[in-house]
Amino acid sequence: MTAEAIVLATTAALFALGAAGVLLRRNPVAVLMAVEIMLNAANLLIVLGGRVRGEVLGQAIALIVLVIAAAEAVIGLGLALALYRDQVMADVDETREVRG
Amino acid sequence: MDALLVPLIVGCAVALVSALGVILARRPVHGAVALLIHSLSIVALYLLLAADLIAFGQLLIYSGAIVVLFLFVVALLPAGGIERAATSSRIIAALVGGGALLLALGAVLSVQLPAPAPQPATGVAPIGRALLEPLVVPFELTAPLLLVAIIGAVTIWRRQEVER
Repeated sequence: MTAEAIVLATTAALFALGAAGVLLRRNPVAVLMAVEIMLNAANLLIVLGGRVRGEVLGQAIALIVLVIAAAEAVIGLGLALALYRDQVMADVDETREVRG
Repeated sequence: MDALLVPLIVGCAVALVSALGVILARRPVHGAVALLIHSLSIVALYLLLAADLIAFGQLLIYSGAIVVLFLFVVALLPAGGIERAATSSRIIAALVGGGALLLALGAVLSVQLPAPAPQPATGVAPIGRALLEPLVVPFELTAPLLLVAIIGAVTIWRRQEVER
């Protein structure tokens, strides 16, 4: 097995793990952490693709994805705080207010 | 390449185990610590793949900023972020969804990789050139994206402040 094949298998497993976490968890912050794992897996795959093709473009795209991930985390965490601040327990199954 | 194989396998294993920890941790603080370990293992993988700049970006943005942000939010959550146990339907959904996705991705990604092309010149300069020539539009769009994210986060928060 080459190094590239090992990393490829890892990205697939990480993405599936993250998706399972999104489905499993009820705490909005934990759901966001699982989404971050999926984003990491996708970014790793982009960098790997750039390496296999011998192009530097992959790393540049990965940088942009990193910035997008940061923006996503800020908005997601802000939403989680705003939605669940007044509740006893933060639970995505009991979102009472999702209106603009 | 063979000398790098062992650290690569270790990095992949740490990434997978810590991801499992993020998913299964009962307390969000433990989940955040596992996310930190996961992020550091991804940094190691980037370094092993000779993507130095991305590794530093990951270290600064993820391990630094985002994990700390998660810890702040966990501290602000009601009940310290403790959550109810997952219902059985959620466990089934996670197993089926994760398993199906793993099968699908395994099928798609089980391609025979071509032999790696000769590596381009490493360093920051070629990446910067790629950002400013073929990728200039997405690169410039990240600036308004971050601005909108900041304003959006403040607005979402302030809406509740006013209502109180």
